[in-house]
Amino acid sequence: MSAARMPQRIRSGWSRLALSITGVLAVALGSPWLAAAPPQTRTARNLEPSYLTPVELKFSPDGARLYVVCEGSDALLAVDARARRVIGRVRVGHKPRDVAVSPDGKTLYVSNEWSDTVSEIDAASLKIRRTLQTGWGPIGLTTDRTGAILYVANSIGDDVSLIDLRRGVEIKRLAAWRSPHYVALSRDARRVYVSNLLPHLGPYDQPPVSELTVIDTAKQAVAARVLIPGVIELRHIAEAPGKPASYLLVPFLRPKNLNPLIQVAQGWFLTHGMAVVRLPAGAAFPETHPQVTQVLLDDLDSYYAGPNGAVFTPDGRYAFVTSSEANVVSVIDTTRLERFLRRKKDADLSNRLDSAAEFVVRRLRTGLNPAAVAVSPDGQSAFIANRLDDTLTVVNVRRLEVQSVLRLGGPKEISALRRGEQLFHDAHFCFQGQFACGTCHPDDHLDGVAWNLETPQLGRDRVANRTLRGIAETAPYKWNGHNPDIETQCGPRTAKFLFHSEGFDAGQLKDLVAFVKSIPLPPNRHLAADGQLTPAQERGKAVFFRKKCETCHPPATHYTAKYGTDVGSATKFDTAGLFDIPQLDRVYQTAPYLHNGEALTLEEIWTLYNLEDKHGVTSDMTKEQLNDLIEYLKTL
Amino acid sequence: MEGNKRRSFRVLVAAWLLVCVPALAAQHPHLYTKWENYTRANGMPDDKVLCVTVDGQRVWAGTESGLVLIAEGKIQRVFTPQDGLAHRVVTGVAVDRRTGDVWIATFGGLSRYSGGVFQNFTNMTSGLVNDIVYAVAVQNEYVWAATTAGISRLNTRTGEWSIFSDRNAPMHEPWSYGIAVAEKKIYFAVWGGGVLEYDIAGGYWKPYTDPDEEMEIVLFRNQGLIHVIVSSVAFNPDTKMFWASTYFGLSGYDGRNWHNYLSTDSGLASDFINATQSRGDEVWACTDKGLSVLNYKTNAWVTYRPDAGTGRGEIIITGPGNKVSRLDSPDSLAHNYIVNMDFQGEDIWVATAKGLSHGTYETHKERKPHEHTENSR
Repeated sequence: MSAARMPQRIRSGWSRLALSITGVLAVALGSPWLAAAPPQTRTARNLEPSYLTPVELKFSPDGARLYVVCEGSDALLAVDARARRVIGRVRVGHKPRDVAVSPDGKTLYVSNEWSDTVSEIDAASLKIRRTLQTGWGPIGLTTDRTGAILYVANSIGDDVSLIDLRRGVEIKRLAAWRSPHYVALSRDARRVYVSNLLPHLGPYDQPPVSELTVIDTAKQAVAARVLIPGVIELRHIAEAPGKPASYLLVPFLRPKNLNPLIQVAQGWFLTHGMAVVRLPAGAAFPETHPQVTQVLLDDLDSYYAGPNGAVFTPDGRYAFVTSSEANVVSVIDTTRLERFLRRKKDADLSNRLDSAAEFVVRRLRTGLNPAAVAVSPDGQSAFIANRLDDTLTVVNVRRLEVQSVLRLGGPKEISALRRGEQLFHDAHFCFQGQFACGTCHPDDHLDGVAWNLETPQLGRDRVANRTLRGIAETAPYKWNGHNPDIETQCGPRTAKFLFHSEGFDAGQLKDLVAFVKSIPLPPNRHLAADGQLTPAQERGKAVFFRKKCETCHPPATHYTAKYGTDVGSATKFDTAGLFDIPQLDRVYQTAPYLHNGEALTLEEIWTLYNLEDKHGVTSDMTKEQLNDLIEYLKTL
Repeated sequence: MEGNKRRSFRVLVAAWLLVCVPALAAQHPHLYTKWENYTRANGMPDDKVLCVTVDGQRVWAGTESGLVLIAEGKIQRVFTPQDGLAHRVVTGVAVDRRTGDVWIATFGGLSRYSGGVFQNFTNMTSGLVNDIVYAVAVQNEYVWAATTAGISRLNTRTGEWSIFSDRNAPMHEPWSYGIAVAEKKIYFAVWGGGVLEYDIAGGYWKPYTDPDEEMEIVLFRNQGLIHVIVSSVAFNPDTKMFWASTYFGLSGYDGRNWHNYLSTDSGLASDFINATQSRGDEVWACTDKGLSVLNYKTNAWVTYRPDAGTGRGEIIITGPGNKVSRLDSPDSLAHNYIVNMDFQGEDIWVATAKGLSHGTYETHKERKPHEHTENSR
């Protein structure tokens, strides 16, 4: 066994032991909550080399420095942009995701997704000045033009915190929609744009609709919700410079989830592109809606999965869009793009695979899993953060070629988990590169839509996507429970039914499975730090056990009894009536619910889809009891 | 001869009052003589207007057939379930001053209008206790909804729904009609249950009920709430009093004493009151026989209502000693059955059974209304 795989073996042993102790204690003390505590046994991750995992980068206003957010090492790096070397490092909170630079360049703000904080850092000394509290799961952030207010997208809270930077306190929270991720201040500073990773919750048999939230910075209120139909996973937001009638580019994924997945073999199943959002100049939202055009970045026979980072050059001539799962950055000639859009003004471009050839002038190879991209203020270079090989790709903008690769440091050794994560985000294993595992499991989670995975028949056996967080001990897998382990789930079955390709070899599969098993659960925001339940949660816990919910959702095994059961959720479109009992860990983050995603909220599971009392005898419950039960479920 | 003299005198007084009507407008209580009405004839989806809420320069009006947005003196939009609204019957609107989001009480649940998009919360899809929602209010990050089955509270940050009803609050009846948010407390109008006071910091309840427990007789005039059938409640931020409208009179409580009013011995137009509002030294009562306002410093009442015969406005001023003056104005409220009202600066917006009325305050002249008495009771 190689040294790289040693941690995995160690992890397994300790994991089992810890789980056993937890379980025994739980039984001994009769405490369902104790038994329910997520096993803190991610020792494989704990023993991993500390990879940097750069996810985001921003320039200082003078272009001298580049600040790089390293998600995997809880650090922010300062890079000398001219010398192209790391010159400083500061440790921040847990799982940092983005950085904002104050207008004067003297202060940096780093969002810490798992700490629910923002680290305020002195840019000169790279010392932490203070830590600001945010909502749940902060990711994207920006200051306003004066540097007085910080806007922070809270991915778990589904809202945006506005923080008064003079006092260091949150002054209000604005509702985004679902999993707001990326934030951008408009060039005129009148608006803040927020992209929502997950689509609106809607009927499971209808195409998804995603939202770009627009905040009026003068009113500090939501001015508009720009709806983008048929797409999910809105990512970075780039605004074209220097024109009165400006436009935004927002990368997205366009799934054909209502069609049988077998169509992957014909191509055009998952397509990848960007929304071109034209904002009415000076118009009052929401009375005047912006014009949204969707264009694809894919070619006819080759796809560019994982569109993610987006940026314009300062002169607006080019835009760069990274494809995280294709390891490519596409260079868009904006003059050609605008000409193309004018020419095709009345055409529906959202499903056309022949568009990109009109305006994509280069496809440049990047490092592994390119995420954010930034262009230097002088417009000479574009820097791309390659998340899974700890490098920055530097592109010469004048020549449109890769100039160099900057190694940020971090371990040289590539562990099994790291290899597995790289495979997880590699679309090359899929026919024509249409998607990777991470395409439908963004942030190792879910994409919020139901898929026609199981049969080749249109409209039959649709199943909601399920999270990959904390699933190591929740076998069997799939809604029909047919996959006894993750090896089966990710192995030949994935190759045959999902990727329509040869799939992973044995060694790759082992690494991939190790990675998937290591995906941790995020902190529970509904549970107090000391584990103390609120009165409503206590009442809900009593309901949970009085109603015998633990029969199918036993606390000791992540609230799944690990078999299939009929809760009356099958419809006439389902071949089978038995479905795998899902684990309930962090259930508040896994909407929609039931096997087909028909229940959009936890309440609907019982109010709309348990009419025969098959999903627990709940028809005698009062509304108060149901509310309490749901409050308890959120603590799991 | 004497009769002619008296007649001439009356004509002179009437003419003088007509000239001076605007002059009466600026002192307390104000007189509103200029009304603009919004009905089906000029774009309202329904004449039955159930609520009105001022949102800066915008006005939201709930009707039996949708939600109306008025700005710059025009009906800008009419929202119906086709636009995403939870139900066509809109009974209450509250604006979150911090976020700008608009919360809408309907007969089909609660809607949030934000950035041009509706999001709905119903008994089936959320923790809302009942879909018949009569009123909604925003208190920091909490949204409160008064429903037929009790009060629901949504924590907009955590998504937690709480229910307060006869099971866990001192309600004789769960049927809640109105909400008023004060600084440290929230007041609820409960139909048949009086007024409930909720202490925000302590999380405890205090009920206010009718001490004589008589349905229609007021035995103890100022010893408590006038009646337990409370249709709405308002908090006056200036005097810190709360006011409760009942179907049997108007009650106010200043923390020590009750101040109750009946139509029999005051200028209140009717004891059947649908809603109340209060600010400064004024309390307004939306009755089934007109819109009454009391200046409780001067003890002067003014009632506005349309004259069914002429279509012109009738203004009844009742001064101290119940001296009554009657004026008329060329414009009037859309109807004398008043359902709800709100302030927009010095202007008022009034929801009636036959349209929405906008009363404009004219600032240029001032006289005290009770100086011009025509007769007395």
